[in-house]
Formats: sequence, structure tokens, C-alpha cells
Amino acid sequence: MASHTLESVFASFAGKPREIVPLLQAVQRQEGYLPEDAIHEVADFTRTSPSWVFGVATFYSQFYLTPQGRQRVQVCRGTACHVRGGGRVLVEAKKQLGLDEGETSDDDEYTLETVACIGACALAPCMTVNDEVHGHLNSAKVSAILSEHGSDENGV
Amino acid sequence: MGCDGGCTVRICQGTGCVSAGSRKLTEALQTEIDARGLDDVEIKRTGCHGFCERGPIVVTDPDGIFYSAVQPDDAPDVADALADEGRVERLLYRDPTSDEPIPHYDDIPFYKGQQQLILRNCGIIDPENIDEAIDREAYQALQKAFASMSPEDVIEEVTESGLRGRGGAGFPTGVKWGFARKAEGDEKYVICNADEGDPGAFMDRSILEADPHAVIEGMAIAAYAIGAHQGYIYVRAEYPLAVERLRIALRQARERGFLGDNILGGDFKFDIRIFEGAGAFVCGEETALIKSIEGHRGMPDPRPPFPANSGLWGKPTNINNVKSYATVPAILRKGADWYSAIGTENSKGTAVFSVTGKVLNSGLIEVPMGTTLADIIYEIGGGIPGNKKFKAVQIGGPSGGCLPAGMLNTPVDFDSLTDAGAMMGSGGMVVMDEDTCAVDLARYFLDFTQKESCGKCAPCRLGTKDLLDRLTKISAGIGTVDDLDELEALAKSVKVGSLCGLGQTAPNPVLTTLRYFRDEYEEHLRMKRCRAAACAGLVSAPCKHSCPAGIDVPRYVRLVAAGKYADALAVVRERIPFPSVCGLVCFHPCEAKCRRALIDDAISIRALKRTAAEHDDGRWKEGARTEPSTGKRVAIVGSGPAGLTAGYYLARKGHDVTAFEEFPDPGGMMRYGIPDYRLPKDVLTDEIDEITNAGVKVETQRKVQSTQELFEAGFDAVFLSLGAHRGVHLGIEGEEEVGVLDCIDFLRRVKLGFEVDLGERVAVIGGGNSAIDAARTALRLAGGADPSAPDPDQPVLDASRTAKRLGAQKVTILYRRTRGEMPADEEEVRAAMEEGIDMEFLTMPTRIATENGDIRIDCTRMQLGEFDASGRRRPQPIPDSEFSMYFDRIISAIGETPDIPEGFQLATTKWNTLQPDPLTLETEQAGVYAGGDVASGPASVIEAIAAGRRAAGSIDRYLGGDGDIGETLIDPSIDYPFETEEGERPRIPVPTRTLDERVSGFREVELGYSDEDAQREALRCLNCDLEED
Repeated sequence: MASHTLESVFASFAGKPREIVPLLQAVQRQEGYLPEDAIHEVADFTRTSPSWVFGVATFYSQFYLTPQGRQRVQVCRGTACHVRGGGRVLVEAKKQLGLDEGETSDDDEYTLETVACIGACALAPCMTVNDEVHGHLNSAKVSAILSEHGSDENGV
Repeated sequence: MGCDGGCTVRICQGTGCVSAGSRKLTEALQTEIDARGLDDVEIKRTGCHGFCERGPIVVTDPDGIFYSAVQPDDAPDVADALADEGRVERLLYRDPTSDEPIPHYDDIPFYKGQQQLILRNCGIIDPENIDEAIDREAYQALQKAFASMSPEDVIEEVTESGLRGRGGAGFPTGVKWGFARKAEGDEKYVICNADEGDPGAFMDRSILEADPHAVIEGMAIAAYAIGAHQGYIYVRAEYPLAVERLRIALRQARERGFLGDNILGGDFKFDIRIFEGAGAFVCGEETALIKSIEGHRGMPDPRPPFPANSGLWGKPTNINNVKSYATVPAILRKGADWYSAIGTENSKGTAVFSVTGKVLNSGLIEVPMGTTLADIIYEIGGGIPGNKKFKAVQIGGPSGGCLPAGMLNTPVDFDSLTDAGAMMGSGGMVVMDEDTCAVDLARYFLDFTQKESCGKCAPCRLGTKDLLDRLTKISAGIGTVDDLDELEALAKSVKVGSLCGLGQTAPNPVLTTLRYFRDEYEEHLRMKRCRAAACAGLVSAPCKHSCPAGIDVPRYVRLVAAGKYADALAVVRERIPFPSVCGLVCFHPCEAKCRRALIDDAISIRALKRTAAEHDDGRWKEGARTEPSTGKRVAIVGSGPAGLTAGYYLARKGHDVTAFEEFPDPGGMMRYGIPDYRLPKDVLTDEIDEITNAGVKVETQRKVQSTQELFEAGFDAVFLSLGAHRGVHLGIEGEEEVGVLDCIDFLRRVKLGFEVDLGERVAVIGGGNSAIDAARTALRLAGGADPSAPDPDQPVLDASRTAKRLGAQKVTILYRRTRGEMPADEEEVRAAMEEGIDMEFLTMPTRIATENGDIRIDCTRMQLGEFDASGRRRPQPIPDSEFSMYFDRIISAIGETPDIPEGFQLATTKWNTLQPDPLTLETEQAGVYAGGDVASGPASVIEAIAAGRRAAGSIDRYLGGDGDIGETLIDPSIDYPFETEEGERPRIPVPTRTLDERVSGFREVELGYSDEDAQREALRCLNCDLEED
């Protein structure tokens, strides 16, 4: 039943409903997001309904239904970051990337997101770029970090 | 050789330190150690040391030397130090006040105040090496339980210990286990709730990363106690490092037979799976968490049935938090009595908190229950950085409450926190200073809970949204004060009506901020003001918003940047008639809120205003209009900044204004309170001349005794701006006999040119700006300067006085608290100290007497005790600490109050101030308005100017005008936006005279920027007001 690409993902699962969350995590790890087909395939594999799987996929903030940028910039909106000026970090990240929260750039290079808390509160305000934590930020540092990432990509 | 017998270098590999570069550091240090052939040195990769703010953390054993913020470049020095038995001085922790290095881990205040029980292995062991955990007693409790305790014994021991659930609610852990034990079922489950979703909390993450075996052992013991064979650790997916360390730890535990089918060789079987959450705050709620593991949307179920009876797949299930499980092994090893001896009557043991936000030492800490908030925030946390004031602490995340300064003495335990309206929660403690707005904070949390509400029950789904909408409106100043009652009622309904913990606790931030900070809510609605300059709906540029007079700061800063100084001055003049005065002496609340400080330093706004004012070419007058005469007459009583400002704008509105002044010259405190070295007389006189040119008449040496006499003289309205000129008495024995000088009286006499005999040793008692002014003035008199000299650059010296006093004078300030609590402006205190004024802190005069021609002050040494409602520590006398000091003259500067003639017949407060309506400044007498220091108590020039503006608007309305005193002095389209350069560039210091020049006279201390520097400084502005968002 599973398409060629997802077979290897499904191989280590038994196809039980309780595996839906880990299955979706595994699919997303491989695909970068959850394509519509994958929702159906997970439903078939776990003998549940697409609406069940879709319901789960849309409930948790970790799952994406659209392709994400190669560089995922997550600005922390945790309380510690909030009181230490995290709002300014977000403003600067938006300005530098030309993206709003939740948007991906047209060339699929960047996705800008906010997250509730990455748990690095002592380094507040902070953000992650592809899971690498950058702490003690201010707008000058944000612009330096993002332009550095940009220049890596462009080979400048 | 420093490492005979072996040295260990512990390098933190927690999330905080890793992101600060500890992995690269570890590699670099290993290379350096190898290069030096230091075979006795071993590097150990440990978990979190707690002091995440200072990462990467390195501790070298056996000496326990603590290095912080160690970078890969530092590796050679650290390796050298290990080779030579030395220390790397520059990497040692330094006491923030004394700057003295504190080399040893155990002596650092952050660690000294802690009692680490749950965190005992954190930062000590390598979490990826089970042998190190075993060396530190891991799995001994499990062996003890298997060898000598029945499941019931285990439950009894845990119950006896008094352990309460560390997830937040505080339910007794042993009792919970007892329910699961008794519940009927062929299969049972043990779940560890590591879905630490509270923004601002990372205790569970750090424990899982640093000491995973403690959690695994605790779960295995719980499994044994209730009869479960399968366990789950539900961990946030956002914690990849914790997941990785758990996987390693589980594998090692299985290999050693601590998990699996035959645990410890017996027939008990138990194993643990990791379930990675997928990002849903509500899954911290146990029934939602269970749903999530089962493969559903994580939506809660009503309880009962409780998971103990019907949990995962309908089977009896025990769920505890990470910290609860991590505590259990120690209880079994050391006994219930040992544990219950720690903490308070009803909250046993220790509490782990992540202390974050506006606190010097952010990090992970553990203290006995019952420790006060003050001890955590100030002793361990090191207090508030950057001379800011403590405002509140949020405990328990979005479910918790926001406690103000007055609650700092609250002991941290389950019940005290609940009584205060907060909750222990999972242990997040976020400290906030004056830059956080209470309304914005509540809005922030509701924004979070509203997004995280799962939507199952209406009270939470709709209620949190409604609460958020209302808070958003309030934060934008929309609505009336009555809306607050509705907000409160709604919050209470959501609390009562919601299905699960999320909705039941989501209103807590609203309710506690309403309870403790209602005045701030009201200020947003009534005054359209956010004192923290944080609410986006009211604030575009924080500098402009925090200027009491509302000066368009960013625009004039841009004009200075463009070199258009006279235009810049016109912008300033659109809001105040005292630009030069403010350019010299304003306490610049704008700078305190400047966002540039988040990058390096605030813009030097006041000095830029001075530059603008120095280039006055009169251009602003072209835009100034005086409306036709209204025929109405207004009397102003007191010609200080409030009175003259009101007079200026009323004159512009066409009213006939007369200001009555008791003293020989107008200006109030600007003339008689602020010394010449801060504000030269001519500068003031010039600005007052512009006000009289605008039509304000000033009658000096005329003391008004009643409002009645003014109305009888034909005035239509009266503005009372008398200031606060009467010194407060010390109220101690001997004060009258010795003839203590009153500070305000002293400053005035000096200004008036009277000779004041100070002798050689002067004591100034007090810690406010007046005390500093008096002390610095006294010091200058010693130098023989004559403040009444016509040319301040050529002081006429009184030869005899000079001879008598030159170089002999010593001025000492006596203050009963410490420098940190001094109400005086920090830059004034610093200047006074530079000039050689002594400060005796924690000194309380109790008696004054004469002794052999000297004045003796008997003092008591004070210590700081509990916190008062203002968030300052109350000074308390130290018993038997009396001592005496000897002086020639004493100046009392402990405060001023207004001196209001009885004939005014107006009610006063206990501080003798008037109490007009804060919005209109109307008093209880028709046509009589009051503002400035006479209403607020001693405040600042700019606040008095703001009061004058407010009064002018109200009085104009009262007299039939439109109340609009706004002026447009320059074409609004003239502006020169620029792109701020990237990167850091600190503020340019404002040049001052040399110390010798300063103390030898009353010449201005500050010299102002050159035009070039002013432009460069102005170019640092971030142009916040032009930001589109």
C-alpha cells in the first residue's frame, strides 16, 4: 500500500493507531513536511481514517502541511525572551528575511517561525537556525547571524 | 605540576553551554592538553551546571576552580594553568559589586545559597556514562527496594516523606502511587511527564540531560511499587539533546540489568519507551498526554476517572513529573525522615526553579522549600541588572501568577504561592523589571494559552480568546476603567468553567496582574500611558512615550543627525518651553527606555537636546502663534517649571497670565534648588525671558495666602504650582540645639549669595538628588568658589574664606541604605564620588550633640532586612553597633514637602501634597488647579513641565477654549530618516571639565558635544517610530 518512498519509513512500525504521532514524525523527518498523500498512506497503514490522521497532524505545532525552507529560523517567544526583548529579535528577523511569521521564502531557502519556548531561557533572548541555538541576541546580532547564513548559501 | 594524582576538567554540555560553544571548547582544550602531554588531566563532559547565563562553564578539580564564559580561544590559557597549578584570572567569576574574583565553585553566591538534592549529579557526572552515575549511588535505591522492601513499604516510605508532585499541583506522590497500586487491572503503566511546555522553564530538560538515570531509577521504583511493566517518558520534541541522552541512558540501564525482563537478576520486568511529543502545551495535562500517546489529538478528558484507575488504554496509570521521579531514589536511600526534615510543614524537600528574565544570574537552581522569593532572586539570582527596579516575578508560567515587590518575602512552598494567587507550577520563575508592563504580560500569556487551548470545552476555547481580545484593547488604551470589572468576572468564569488545568489556570496571569497592578491597567485606559513603554498599541517609540511632556524625540534626534539643529530645537519646543534647561538637567526617562540599550547603550538624548538648544536662531518663533485675547485672567502661584509652562501655553491661548513668586527671581527649584554647576543662571534666565516675552507677567516677592484673594483681584482661574520647598526634619534628639541646616534652605542661600559657614567637615544626611546637590555644593564652597560671582569662569575668591577652607574640607553623605537603593540619579552619585565626596552607607543618625566644639552624630549601623512594597530592602539597626562621627556642620536632606498656606483651604495628603484629579489637575475648588511638586511631591523638572501642560489645557477648557495647546513650530514634513548602521557602537561620552576645575568652582561640569560628535551620536538612533509593524 505504501508508496515507494514511504515504505522504508513504515518498515520499523507495526501499523497500530498509537503509532500515528511517531509515524508522522518519521515521515516529516524524511520529507521535510507532510504531503497530502502521506496523510492518506499513514491512515491506510494504521487502518484509521484520513480525517483522524489529518486531525492529529493539524493538532500539533510540530507538523507542517507545506514544504519548509532549507533554513528554519525559529524565534523564541518564551517568557524569559519576552521580558528580555525577544519582540525586537522577531522584528529584526522579519526585516532581514522579508518574511512574516510562518512564511517561507519563494526560493524555499528560509522559513521564519516563532516557537513557544526552546528552553534556553538563561540565554534569552534567543532563536535557532536549523536547531542551532543563538543566545543573548539583539537586533545587531540577529542581522549578523542571518546575513552570515545567507552569504554561506550564496557562496559569497 | 599541579595535577599530581590527577585533575579533572568538567565542561558543561547542557543546551545552554553547547549553544555558547562548549563542544568546540572541549575539542580545543583536549588538543591543548594533549600538546602539553598532561596525562593526568581528564576532561569530563557533564550535564548542566545550572549557571547557564555564564556558559560555557568549566570547573577544574580537585580544587573546584570555576571558570565561566570560556571560549575555544581560552583553551591554551586553561591548559597552561592546569600545567602550572595556576589560575586563569580573567575567566574567574567576579563579584558583580566589588569586582573581586571568586575562584571556588562553592563560594559563588549562585551556588552557595542552594541545596542540591535533585540536581546533585548535574554538572558532576558524565550523563552518557552509567558508571559515573553508579559511583554516585545510582540504582542503589532500586536494589534496596527489591532486596528489602515490599511494594507497600515503598509506597509508605514515599508517603511518609511528604513528597508532593513536582509537576505543579503538589498532590502527594505516595498517595497517588497507592491509588494505582490498589486499582484493579492486569496491565499498569508508569508515565514520566517531561512535556515541559511552560515558556520560561527548563528544569526538566536540564535534569534529563544531566542525570537521566535518576529519572529512570525513580520510574523503575514506581513501577515496582504499583506493579507496572511498561513505562513511557513523554518528552518535548523541542529537546533533542534530552532525547538523545535518555536513549543512551536507557540502553546502558538495560545492559546493566536495571531495566528489562529480569531486573537485577530477579523476575520483575519493566522497560521504558520514549514518546516524543509533537508540540502541544495542553499535553502537559495528564489526560491529554495519555490521549497523545494513544495516537490521538491531545485533548483532555474529564476526571474522574483519574489515570490511577483508568489511564493509558484504560489501564491504571501513574503519571509523575521528571523531578518527582528524580527525588524518589534519594528518599529510599536516605529514608523518609531525612527527606521530611527538609522544607516546611506542608511542603517537604526542595524546589527546583529555572530563574530567568531580568535577573543577573539566570539559571537552574534548587533550594529548600520555604526559601523566600527575595533570597532566590537577590542572593542566588544576584538581583536585577542595569540599575533597574524589580517589578514582579511570574511563577508557574502561563498557569501561574505575577507577584509584585510587596510579595518578595513570600516563602516558596505550594500553599504560600497558591495563597498569593500564583502556583508552584513546574518551576519556571521569570523575573521582570520596570520595563515589563503588567497588562502586556497578561496579554502575552493569554496570547499563548489562547493559541494552545485545544478547543474541546467552550469556556476555555472562547474565554481565552475573549480575554485576549479585551487585554489587547486595554493595552492599546481602548475602553474605560469599568471594563476591568468585566475582565475580572470573565477571568473567574473561565477558571471555574474549564475542563482541564489549562483553562482553569489560564486566567491566573490576568487575575494576579489585576490584583497587584490594577493601577497600571487604569493608567492605560485613563491616561493612555504604558509606564513600561512596552504596549505596542500605545507606544511607537519608547523614548517619546516615556517623555512626560511627549517630546517627539526620534524626530529631533534625526534632525540633529542631519545637522539641522535649529529645526531640532523647534521640534523640542513644540512640547516644552525649557529646552536648554532640560538639555542640561533632565533626568531623561527617555534614555531609560531607549531600545538601543538592548544593543549597546541608550542614545545620549539629553545631550543632543542641549546641542539643539545651543543652536537657537529664533526660527521656532516664526511658527509660534498667540491667539487673540480672551479677556480672561489666570493667576499662577509659584513660578517654577510647572507654573511657567502652564503660563506660557495659557498666554499663547490668549489669556492674561500673572505668575506670583515668593522669591526675588522666577524659576522655582530650577533657580533655587539646582546648583549652577548643573544649570547656569543665564541659561535659565534666557528661557524665562522667552516666556515673559510671550506675555506672562511675573510678580516676584509676592506670597499668595489664599485662592480667595486671587479671585477677588479679578482672576478667573488659578493654577497652584508652589513646589515642595520645605525640608523634612530628621526627628532626632539634638537636631534643634545644634542647628542642622535644611538642604533646600542651604542651596537657596548659596544661590542668593549669602555666606554660609560650613566649617571643615560637613555631613549631608540623605540619599536623594537634593543630598547630592547639597554635598557637591558644599564641596565647591570649600574650594572658595563664589557662586554669586558674575562670571562663572572667573570666580571672585573671598581670600579669607579660601585660606580658611582650601583643601581642608571633607564632605560625607550619610545614608541608611546602600548605594543600590539611593533614589538619587546614578550619574549624579557617580559624579559626587569622583569629586571625592565620602559616602557612609547603612548609617542611621540617632542623636546629634556638641562636644568640644565639634558636632557629634551618634549613628547606628544598619543592615538590609525584608523587602518593602517598593521593592527596596528595609534597613534595620544592627544591635550594639552604635558609633559616633564628628563634623562641623550638618545638612539634612531626607526629603521635602510642600508648604501650603492655610488660607488655601484645600485638603492635603499625609505627605502634605494636594490631590488634584490626575487627568485634569482640577482641585475641589472650582477654577483652581494644582500640579507639579505640590501635587506629586518632589519630582523632576520634566514632570513639572508635563503637569504645566496638562493644567494649561484644562484651564483653557475651563475658560471656554478648546484646550488644545499643541503647537506646530516647524513644517511636519521636514524629516531626515536614515538607515541605522549595523553592528554595535557604544554611546559617545559627554565631555566634562577636569576634576580640579569642577571642584574649584561652580562652573558647569558638563560641556556638551561638539557638533560633529552630536551628529555621530544621533546616527546611533534606531528610528523606532518609523518601524512598520
